[in-house]
Amino acid sequence: MHITAKEEYFDEPACEHNGVAKDKKACKTATPGSSTGGCALDGAYIVLSPIKDALNIVHAPINCLGNSYNQRTSETTQRENYYMYGFTTAINENDLIFGSEDKLRQGVIYVFNRFKPKAVFIYNTCVPALTGEDIEGVSKELAAKLKIPVVPVFSQGFSGNKNLGNKIAGDALFTHIIGRKEPEIDLLSDYNINLIGEYNIRGELFLIKKALKQAGINVLSTITGDSTIEEIMYSHKAGLNVVVCSKALIYLARKMKEKYGLPYIEGSFFGLTSTNKAIMDIVNSIGDYELTCSAKKYIKIRTRNTEENIYEYKRFLTGKKALLYTGGVKSWSLVSALNDLGMKVIATGVKKSTEEDKLRIKEIDGNGNIIMLDNGNPVNLIKIAREEQVDIILAGGRNQYTAIKSLIPFLDVNQERFNPYTSYEGMEFLAKQIYFEIKNPLFKLLKESNINL
Amino acid sequence: MMNPIKNMEINPLQASSSLGAAMFFLGINNAVVLMHGAVGCASFDKVTLTKHFRENIPIVTTALNEYGAILGGTDFLTSGIKNIYEKMKPDFIGIASSGLTETSGEDIACIIRDFKEKQDLPFSKIIYAGTPDYKGSLEDGYMKAMLALLEDFSGKETYKTFKKSKKLTKSINVFCPVSFTPQDFLELREAVGYFDLKPVMIPDLGLSLDGHLDERGYLQTTADGLGIKDMENIHNSEFNIVIGLSLGNAVKSISELTGLATYYFPNVCGLKNSDKLFNLLSELSGKEIPEKYKRQRRQLMDAYLDTHFYFLGKDIALALGIDLLDSFSMIYSEMGANLKIGISTKFSDDIKYRFLNFCEGDLDLLDNYRNVDLIVSNSNAGFYAKDFRIPLLRAGFPLIDEIGHGYKHYILYRGAVNLAVESANLLNKG
Repeated sequence: MHITAKEEYFDEPACEHNGVAKDKKACKTATPGSSTGGCALDGAYIVLSPIKDALNIVHAPINCLGNSYNQRTSETTQRENYYMYGFTTAINENDLIFGSEDKLRQGVIYVFNRFKPKAVFIYNTCVPALTGEDIEGVSKELAAKLKIPVVPVFSQGFSGNKNLGNKIAGDALFTHIIGRKEPEIDLLSDYNINLIGEYNIRGELFLIKKALKQAGINVLSTITGDSTIEEIMYSHKAGLNVVVCSKALIYLARKMKEKYGLPYIEGSFFGLTSTNKAIMDIVNSIGDYELTCSAKKYIKIRTRNTEENIYEYKRFLTGKKALLYTGGVKSWSLVSALNDLGMKVIATGVKKSTEEDKLRIKEIDGNGNIIMLDNGNPVNLIKIAREEQVDIILAGGRNQYTAIKSLIPFLDVNQERFNPYTSYEGMEFLAKQIYFEIKNPLFKLLKESNINL
Repeated sequence: MMNPIKNMEINPLQASSSLGAAMFFLGINNAVVLMHGAVGCASFDKVTLTKHFRENIPIVTTALNEYGAILGGTDFLTSGIKNIYEKMKPDFIGIASSGLTETSGEDIACIIRDFKEKQDLPFSKIIYAGTPDYKGSLEDGYMKAMLALLEDFSGKETYKTFKKSKKLTKSINVFCPVSFTPQDFLELREAVGYFDLKPVMIPDLGLSLDGHLDERGYLQTTADGLGIKDMENIHNSEFNIVIGLSLGNAVKSISELTGLATYYFPNVCGLKNSDKLFNLLSELSGKEIPEKYKRQRRQLMDAYLDTHFYFLGKDIALALGIDLLDSFSMIYSEMGANLKIGISTKFSDDIKYRFLNFCEGDLDLLDNYRNVDLIVSNSNAGFYAKDFRIPLLRAGFPLIDEIGHGYKHYILYRGAVNLAVESANLLNKG
């Protein structure tokens, strides 16, 4: 039984928070009476659900899946996939009293027969974790019977937040999927990498893959945007892991390094500077002279091309002020993207950032007077935006209404975004969207009209 | 070997009772919903409700962790309430529980009572609805919250005050179902107002979530809605109107708790039921039915005639919560549409006869009806509709892939026109 999360999850040598507050379990606290992000289930589901030929079964009362499925905007190349489906055992009162292991077993067999998936993920949640159901046993039994991986994911919400869920999902992939197959020869090129923590929101993965391919780099597996179980099974055969965006999946990269000797680097594809840097970091890690030369050439062409395309936007945006409130890698990589547009970033959220992220922010921010926002309290956000007279707030959907109700232009840069913002094309989208949002006369009109008639 | 036992909800139609309670509480002015459970319980609901209403949704969590889950969540709950008050200063805190907190068997009502006594919180009303996710549906949670609120305001003292006080306002209490859109609330409020009656909508998602830009800008709590003052005076109203098939079981309690005459309508949709409502309002207020609605009635009769051709020989599949299934099938039945299948989260003998088939279940049941001409369901059915190339009329909860559903309404004469016309156009395209 896994009532509490593994201690190992909180011991992360690759994370700078590690050991700082060990007894308090850093990265894990939430205050009662606040509106925090998702739970471990949420985090695990985000990581695993984009795998297009696997089924995700949430073993829970109707609450956990029924209230919220079918909402992510990950894209896939395949029309036939199970991403749009939500499966749950919908534990009811009878199940609670008599146990629901059998219900789960029969349910999985039913969906297996109907959908013929390549793998099944079973998410344990608060209620069955409390009543002590043997999800691991059921999974083992089903895996033997159905002859596909049936993976228990111990993501009960009370054990932690979204980040922990990411780790749990990474662990599930590492333990049950990765290393189970060898890739066909023709799938491998000279330089193979995996992208970890890229979920293909609005097709961002497609843009990253395109750029990498043109620079001479082959993406062998993506964990997990637009991926298949098979490609994750042979991901250990890549030459390099690139952790994009999700700090929490460093855990997986580190585990793969320990077991398969696969080195890893972190990179971000938000903004021109970041994209160029990420490509160069990958190339430098591979350390091949020819590749380096061709990549450099490619970067030069794309950079010039993108700069031409965003010239008009940049001219308008230069000197405009932005307030950024987002998590993790984006806290610095978007700062750099906005700097690419000549904008001044007044503040950036660092609630979910590591010490390393913060250092990077300082590096990027030449003047050193950027405000590091530890508190995402909407009232605080608006206060700073008003005091500093920012031209736009860039944040997640959670803060959309905070901003627009206060009549401050806003752009969603998290999962609800309308456009892909990664790579060179993404930079153009970002520039265009910010440009039109700030230029929009609507805000002026409403400010003038916001006096009671 | 095919296994005949399904034992799995595939693309569930139902949502949990805790979400229902949360939706009820959101119809109260200056309110915050406190979800007693793990952080995800609040987060999932908040995200879906935000997308559905396209408004800021004040739901917060008690953030129960494993220690709280095992050793008891009292401290989480009480510090949650304290923190809310300090940060947001609401008039009202609605507490909904979850499967997690109810499984451990804590007496949450008792904890809250103790807390209130010790803390002496004159500033906020705190109401608790026990909503374990493994029991009941969205509608049940909503009703539970409604009754919890009534019980609290029907304390003996309030009741005595009522006995002494004179009836000053000609107000009436209107209890509305969870299926109402914000615009439904506003339409009904307006209609009642035409009879010189002051409607107290319980709850009032029309005022709180209709999507208006408040002059105060961004607010941490609900911007408007049913006021606490109005709640305190519900006993002074003239009578109660209860609407919604799912609230049928609550009618007796509502009548007893308020001590008022209560009139019940399973729905106020279509020609006949709208007639019934307007006649009742006219009779009880002593005012004639306003010209505006007489006109709308004639318009509906005409719209039925104009649109019914589009429905001839066409099959419709409906997958909706029980209130909306009742409302829509009422309208469709009046115009003679062929309802091939009705899927809902609950079985109801009262409306079964309107459908060729009626069953309780998930959206995946639509897979058996690939040949219908129109699907009426929520956003989650979008994927089936696309797959089968059948037009989808989006209604119910959640509606997250289209904007503007808060402005639509399907009640009274004009609502029936809306449904008839929208359906006809989709059938024509399909």
